[in-house]
Amino acid sequence: MPAVEQYLKPEVIRQISRLDLRAQFIVKGFLQGLHASPYHGFSVEFSEHRKYAQGDDPRDIDWLVYAKTDKYYIKKFEAETNITGYLVMDLSRSMAYTYRQELTKFDYAICLAAALCYLMIHQQDPVGLITFDDKIRQSLPPRSKRAQLGNVLSMLANLRPSGQTDIAKSIVQIAAMLRHRSLVMLFTDLFADPEPIISALRRLRHGGHDVILFHVLDEAEVHFPFDGTIEFEEPETHERVQIDAGSFRADYLGEINNFCDLYRRECFQNGIDYVQLDTSMQFDRALMEYLVNRKARY
Amino acid sequence: MTFLHAAFLAGAGTIVVPIVLHLIMRQQPKHLEFPALRFIQRREQANRRQVRLRHWLLLALRCALLGLLALALARPSIVGSGVLDQEAPVAAALVFDTNPRMQYRQGNQTRLDVAREVADWLLPQLPADSDVAVVDSRSASAAFSVDLGAARQRIERLNADQMAQPLSLALESALALVNESEKPRKEIYVFTDLSRAAWSADAMRAFQRQLDAAAEVGVYLIDVGVKDPTNVGLGELRLSGQVLSRNSPLRIECDLTHVGPAEQRTVELYLVDPATNQPSIRSRAAFTLKPNETQRTDFRLRGLKPGFHQGYLKLVGEDSMACDDTRWFSVEVRPAWRILIAAPDDASRTADEYALFLSEALAPYSMRIKGEAAFECDVVTTEQLAGASLDQYGAVCVLDPRPLEPDVWQKLQAFAAEGGGVAIALGRNAAPVDSFNQPLAQELLPGTLVRQWRASEAYLAPENYQHPLLQKFRSLAGAVPWESFPVFRHWQLGQLAEGSAVVLRYSNGQPAIIERPLGKGRVLTLTTPISDPASRRDTWNLLPTGEQPWPFVMLANELALYLVGGGEQRLNYLTGDTAVIHLGADRRFPIYSLTTPRGDQIRTPVDDDQNALVVASTSEPGNYRVRAGGPQEGAQLGFSANLPPETSELNRVTQDDLAGVFGERAFHLARGRDEIDRSVSEVRVGQELYPLLIILLVVVLALEQVLSNRFYQDYDTSDRPSRTAQLAVRAASASRDRDKVPQSAS
Repeated sequence: MPAVEQYLKPEVIRQISRLDLRAQFIVKGFLQGLHASPYHGFSVEFSEHRKYAQGDDPRDIDWLVYAKTDKYYIKKFEAETNITGYLVMDLSRSMAYTYRQELTKFDYAICLAAALCYLMIHQQDPVGLITFDDKIRQSLPPRSKRAQLGNVLSMLANLRPSGQTDIAKSIVQIAAMLRHRSLVMLFTDLFADPEPIISALRRLRHGGHDVILFHVLDEAEVHFPFDGTIEFEEPETHERVQIDAGSFRADYLGEINNFCDLYRRECFQNGIDYVQLDTSMQFDRALMEYLVNRKARY
Repeated sequence: MTFLHAAFLAGAGTIVVPIVLHLIMRQQPKHLEFPALRFIQRREQANRRQVRLRHWLLLALRCALLGLLALALARPSIVGSGVLDQEAPVAAALVFDTNPRMQYRQGNQTRLDVAREVADWLLPQLPADSDVAVVDSRSASAAFSVDLGAARQRIERLNADQMAQPLSLALESALALVNESEKPRKEIYVFTDLSRAAWSADAMRAFQRQLDAAAEVGVYLIDVGVKDPTNVGLGELRLSGQVLSRNSPLRIECDLTHVGPAEQRTVELYLVDPATNQPSIRSRAAFTLKPNETQRTDFRLRGLKPGFHQGYLKLVGEDSMACDDTRWFSVEVRPAWRILIAAPDDASRTADEYALFLSEALAPYSMRIKGEAAFECDVVTTEQLAGASLDQYGAVCVLDPRPLEPDVWQKLQAFAAEGGGVAIALGRNAAPVDSFNQPLAQELLPGTLVRQWRASEAYLAPENYQHPLLQKFRSLAGAVPWESFPVFRHWQLGQLAEGSAVVLRYSNGQPAIIERPLGKGRVLTLTTPISDPASRRDTWNLLPTGEQPWPFVMLANELALYLVGGGEQRLNYLTGDTAVIHLGADRRFPIYSLTTPRGDQIRTPVDDDQNALVVASTSEPGNYRVRAGGPQEGAQLGFSANLPPETSELNRVTQDDLAGVFGERAFHLARGRDEIDRSVSEVRVGQELYPLLIILLVVVLALEQVLSNRFYQDYDTSDRPSRTAQLAVRAASASRDRDKVPQSAS
């Protein structure tokens, strides 16, 4: 049996074109590494039986069913309270950037979103999808049915990052839009002025929503692997700057670290989970973050 | 600075290429999309300045690269002759030091052999159509050889020359020759052993002056010497006398010069038997020489019979330089010279008492009884002088005379005219003055007697020691205490007669001894007596009566020797000197036979004017014999010629000494062929800067490469998977997808 953990690696998942398979493989790989089933203990009300799968706690095996059918089934429980999750995707042009010409930031975010969607649907959690650039573009209301997975994935698969973005304004719109307490999972590179964004996040948090901020950066944006004289162009504003990259690396890294530190600090103060990701990182980091957040609610 | 290929300098114009490329056709940087530009923009300004600085630096390096390349190809050189073509014909003078010192042998080669070998190699190296002159130490004048073959033959015929002139003379003539040449380049090659004797600053002064005026002449010193020579040599011989009186011993002193480590050598003294011409050893002495120590040998020969004697000192054994291992000498032993002393005989003192000081000074009693005295003195009164026969005397000394009879004056005059010597010591008895101022007396005396001069603190004060009479005082010079022998009174003379010369003066400037040549002889007049006893209160001087009057004894002997002509006889010469053999009046043969040290016999006529034999060819060191009239009755004469003592001087000059000789002018010292080659091309072409420039070029090129790589290097793609790897991974995952999709879908 091939090691499913390898599907946590972006360079491997990139080889799979179908998004549903990507999501499935990521989640399977993730669960394989957990040993303990993440589904256990979330609910007390029995909903259905399910075939025993590797990693399930043997204590949950329904021995009566085993006695009748000679097959292992485990009891599944309906969650008492469901958490409504919103996957919020940043459609800005900068999200389409990839240095290695492999996974763009946007691809990475979509894989992650798909995986989370898959995970949540399997847990009967309703999942919705919101996309924005300078304002909210598309919105899929949350559902917990299995069909929702197909809807979300098909919508995700058709998304194209393009144009300008206004993250702060979009977050404010989302905050205004959500009426129930929800878990907002924001996938963005945060390339805009931090002040309005932080203020918008505060507002979202103030609305009683749980927020996980997946700060997705490209590998090159984190490590700045350039040398020699290079003219850089900003994809959204088309501004150009010519620098000697080799000597500039230290300066750049200082700047980007300051930037991330600012968000990390602000998010911590506001009770927002800040997850810094880059396109070279495995997907489990993001999934784990979600699960930890999920557990913390019960 | 000169350039070998000046045309390449035009290549420096290519400097404009990088400038144009930099300013106009600047290479476009890599263009990359980068969303996180906001983080770059904040620090962009500082970085842009840095980038611009680096660009200019790179431009400067590239310009320097092209400039240096052009400069290096132009082959610049400094301190060149100014003539760009290295193969331009030269006027070259090859000056060989042919001093006997060059016979120093090492590795079975004399220094001259080495010089010859180097010159043989050097000749073909000279550019075609060059004028070559070969000059040796003997040549008075130099001339260019017809062609290189003639020059080579000349070099092959070179021999160490006993009559070598100083090297400076050869250099001067060589310099004059190349200066006259119209060839663009002038060079003098000096083959020398760099010995101190040849290169002393004094000897080279004239050459140095000429060289300063000839700035374009390149001088190359080719050192063929031995760095650490070892040699033992005999220096100049010092004889107690060249003409000795019978029975007096011959003392031979010689310096044993030694260069090198400690050594033991023996010196032998040989005397040649005149009859058989065979040498026989007479004495031998062993010497232990410490490193670089000079010792003195001291031999004495007694019992030499009257006649002519020759001999030599010889170092036993062989060493690297043979020419200074033997020193020759000639002496003549003859019966004591007879001196007639005439003195007044009056009531107070007898003639003997008058003559006592002089006769004891010339023939001391202690020597007289042993028969070793050089002189034999007879004393007569001035009255007896008229009747005395003067033929058997070499000289007549008249002490403190009273006015003499005219026939006595005439007799003395005739005696002097025939070659005899007369000395007249004027004193208190010279009164009346008129009798001495008579014409007859004035034939002998150098001037009229004017008056007696009372001098308070006068003494004899020789000004220079050029006169033969004072020759022996020369080496003592300041050591003679003339002041201890005051002269209180002396005669002042009037206008000196024509031909008279003052030999010695008093400290007050008045003449003390005056010489007047007369016919073949001479008359010496002393203006103060040499017979006054100290006991007299009015004594005229204390010359013979002062304390330890050795200067008087010496002066009296020299005076007597000069009068009898013994001091003139010189029997020992240096090679190259013209030897003059004075012949006795009674031994006249028309032709004499001269036997050289090699055994060649040369018929030599008598020089009637000098009554002497004049031998000019004394190039060979050794004993020369002169014979005439058969072995029994004939004359046996001769002389010796020795190499100059500085021939043994093997100590080498230092670089500083040479710098002193050549002043600020650069000279080129070379030992081997490589060094010659290098220094010659250095002077012809100058100090080549090509290697230096190439090194600089490489450094600049490396720097340029490093900087440009750093500035323009492609952004890092090392960790990007290759295309093949990507395909492989894709294929693998596709196959996995096929395996898994059905399961997952289910």
